[in-house]
Amino acid sequence: MPRLAGIGELENLRAAAVAERQRASMTLIVCGGPGCQASGCRAVADALSEELAREELTSEVQLRVTGCHGFCEQGPIIIVEPAGICYCRVEPGDIAEIVSTTLRGGVVDRLLYADPSSGERVRSAWEIPFYRLQDRVLLALHPEIDSSSITDYIATGGYSALAKVLGEHSPDRVIKAVTSSGLRGRGGGGFPTGRKWATCRAAPGDEKYLICNADEGDPGAYMDRGVLEGNPHLVLEGMLIGAWAIGARQGYIYVRNEYPMAVEHARLAVAQAREYGLLGDNILGSSLCFDVEVARGGGAFVCGESTALMASLEGKVGEPRAKDVHTVEDGLWGKPTVLNNVETWANVPLIMRNGPAWFAAKGTKGSKGTKIFSLTGRVKNTGLVEVAMGTPLRTIIYDIGGGAADGVAIKAVQTGGPSGGCLPADKFDLPVDFDTLAQAGSMVGSGGMVVMDEHTCMVDVARYFLAFLQDESCGKCVPCRLGVDRMLEIVTDITEGRGRPEQLELLEELGETVRETALCGLGKTAPNPVLSTLRYFREEYEAHVRERRCPAGVCRALIAYQIDPERCTGCGLCRTACPHGAITGESKQPHTIVADACLRCGICQSECRFEAIVLTERG
Amino acid sequence: MPQYVTLRIDGANVVAPRGRTVLDVAIEYGICIPHLCHIETISDMGACRLCIVENVVDGRTKVTTSCTLQVQEGMVIATNTERIRKLRRNIAELLVAEAPNSRAIQDIAVRCGVKRVRYPFRNRDCVLCGRCVRVCAEMWDARAIGFVGRGKERHVDFPFGVRPDFCKRCGSCVQLCPMTITPCDGPMGPGEERLCGKCESQLMVTERMPDTCVLCDLGKGFACARHG
Amino acid sequence: MAIASLQSVLQGRRSQPQQLIEVLQDVQDLYGYLSQESMTEVSAELGVPLIEVFRVASFYKAFSLTPRGRHVLTVCSGTACHVRGAARIVDQVTGELAVQPGKTTSDGLFTVEAVNCLGACALGPVVVLDGVYHSQMSPRRLRRLIESVRKAGNGGGS
Repeated sequence: MPRLAGIGELENLRAAAVAERQRASMTLIVCGGPGCQASGCRAVADALSEELAREELTSEVQLRVTGCHGFCEQGPIIIVEPAGICYCRVEPGDIAEIVSTTLRGGVVDRLLYADPSSGERVRSAWEIPFYRLQDRVLLALHPEIDSSSITDYIATGGYSALAKVLGEHSPDRVIKAVTSSGLRGRGGGGFPTGRKWATCRAAPGDEKYLICNADEGDPGAYMDRGVLEGNPHLVLEGMLIGAWAIGARQGYIYVRNEYPMAVEHARLAVAQAREYGLLGDNILGSSLCFDVEVARGGGAFVCGESTALMASLEGKVGEPRAKDVHTVEDGLWGKPTVLNNVETWANVPLIMRNGPAWFAAKGTKGSKGTKIFSLTGRVKNTGLVEVAMGTPLRTIIYDIGGGAADGVAIKAVQTGGPSGGCLPADKFDLPVDFDTLAQAGSMVGSGGMVVMDEHTCMVDVARYFLAFLQDESCGKCVPCRLGVDRMLEIVTDITEGRGRPEQLELLEELGETVRETALCGLGKTAPNPVLSTLRYFREEYEAHVRERRCPAGVCRALIAYQIDPERCTGCGLCRTACPHGAITGESKQPHTIVADACLRCGICQSECRFEAIVLTERG
Repeated sequence: MPQYVTLRIDGANVVAPRGRTVLDVAIEYGICIPHLCHIETISDMGACRLCIVENVVDGRTKVTTSCTLQVQEGMVIATNTERIRKLRRNIAELLVAEAPNSRAIQDIAVRCGVKRVRYPFRNRDCVLCGRCVRVCAEMWDARAIGFVGRGKERHVDFPFGVRPDFCKRCGSCVQLCPMTITPCDGPMGPGEERLCGKCESQLMVTERMPDTCVLCDLGKGFACARHG
Repeated sequence: MAIASLQSVLQGRRSQPQQLIEVLQDVQDLYGYLSQESMTEVSAELGVPLIEVFRVASFYKAFSLTPRGRHVLTVCSGTACHVRGAARIVDQVTGELAVQPGKTTSDGLFTVEAVNCLGACALGPVVVLDGVYHSQMSPRRLRRLIESVRKAGNGGGS
């Protein structure tokens, strides 16, 4: 493997890689992102590879498995280049037809994306409204790159920003550029990145560290997984530029334990970069010496917090410490450390390549650039979505997201994970902007965006988040350990019909106390889901407390399922389906649900083909 | 770098050696800041959050634990504002609802002004203050016990739950434990848990001079640093 | 890299306390759980106090202190999966296998785990069986999946 001794050699390699890519007349791109992996893209890619070999087409047609395109709901996805045709929900059995039709210059109509209202087929990938309405600065790179190939990355302009920086920019100039771009941390904190770097650079000491936080613990968020698996070299390049700027020699990519593929891709990228001399000593012939290690988390949400993450890197339990002295001055091993999120690092090379003004031209006054969101939940088009900051929630949820799934009206959107809040539908004109959402009682957060509809109980959502936080709390400080526990106790009481009106005030008071006195960010933001749902959905709490009623029909203690004897055909499907043995009945006779044994899970209703099982309020 | 710094605590000018914590300095000056997990000569955890104070930085007020806050030149600290008193009271309420069967915890509740407990009482025998763990590690270097588990499951235990042979049976852990001092009447049985409030008379003294140390009996209860 | 033994896990990492989590993860992968013996050995070789090894082992979800079943069934309980009905998947699993998350069935066949997010959120509810992802699960599909594992266990040789 040729170690690149200078920028000239990098350019030669780039030219060679570009030429290699241009040899094939056609490329079939298979999305290998997190969603598609779960939908079976591996089998599709294997089938495609076998078919190309069998038909002896491997020199004419290139197969490229890439990172996440974003349209996870429609995966597995194949894109045919250069025609730009997008095939959705592909199965291994479709491969032979795709290959033969494509070679003839034709199109397999039935696999094209169909507009949900008109039924019209859309041929071109980027004409699909889901894609067209986004501002895909980072995500657009994914279909271009085989995520396990460094030469693919270099062919598409990779490491050119690093070359430019090492050749022309002093560290201070880099920091100035990042600062004037207006980039703010993409992990949830939204701290101005340039300022963080400047403080670390100014901190005394020669030993400094860089960390890429890929812990991504927010449930419902997988943007970082998408970027790290799909474009790991972009993240590395960002870290290299950061190392140059602050004077660090060692960096870490800390990946959560639940992302084995991301660990694998990151480790591969690091190994490749070392081979090519892009990590190590005198990178590209400059004075920059920097290396990266990939570390796995142990399975703890709290390790997304910077001091807990650093403790984990040091081999200890992930217990946060008070941050009276910040980690930029006293971080890993007590040394100045810059910790940034995956998406933050990914933006850096593009800012250096295109200039800070390019980045600052997008977004709002306080929030520049684009942001990737994972749009999930009760919406038609789920997946990874990238928009300019300042885009209204409505655009994301309805225009890009396609609106309500299953025709049930959308009620709320939850952003910012367990640290964030729920905003009601009448707030959907708000733009995604750090300060605007924070003022409204929620936050942009890391990018998780969960859509909720009329079948979601907001009190249950508060209970869900509190249970999550109780499970993930490190347990060190009283306000979080005992406060979250008591909030959960109260909200559970409310969902089970034992709530009292004065408990709503107590929830608010306790929430404020936890917010002000908890030791770390996990505890401080733990009350947000409760406080935001109390603010915007108080009527649901009131119904639970005053009327023992769950308007959304979710809270199990307050609902009951009944079989309508008129509609029941006695097919027995529900009886087999019930995991608790709570349904009795003879074949072809109307069945009954035994109330004492029934846990109101609703599985029976979901299986009944005659709509004979009805949800009612518990007497 | 000068050895001493000047700061303001509750409006009073205070001179303190660099490297000391606000809590240590306040106690020395006779300012009463309630605390539980703090013990002299042992490292501070900032776990109980009772010793919180207001620290004014760049015009913004931050609530921080005084046991982990090092004194700085020009610092402005308020230990007993209405906001702090309310927060402290709520924290003490959580503690006494969790473990009413301890004189120390009951004393803290009285001292912090808890008049009612709005949560169902539990009867835990550990509040995870960490005094035992830290003294075993730092004073004796034995490390026979530690915090095990996470969140609600967090508890103090031996490795694998079995007392190791390097436990010196020194008894320091028991001596410092706030749970080993039961209320004056004796243990409260299950279902009998209540707010004791017996030392109300002690509280009346502190109410007249809210932030001053009066060497009250309450302090004996939670082994306040001034009592030693 | 195949992990042959505890010794090979420890190779190159002796007297490096900061490697504790990586070492324990490799031990977990090797044996399927962390035994007292292996933790005691790690403590001695890495130079980490025994109580600290025990602390780390009990703090992180990745580690199991008891042996696991032959098949690990992980149900995602993340927010996106939750609003798409993950609770019913948990019901199906706990009802059918008669174990709570974190525990192993009495026949040693299944260990059930609930995880707070697996990162495949667009396609919830998600279930992972022995490292293989299954998306858009329903109680019925899960029933069939569990059945297929049982059948394979009974029919196959080893």
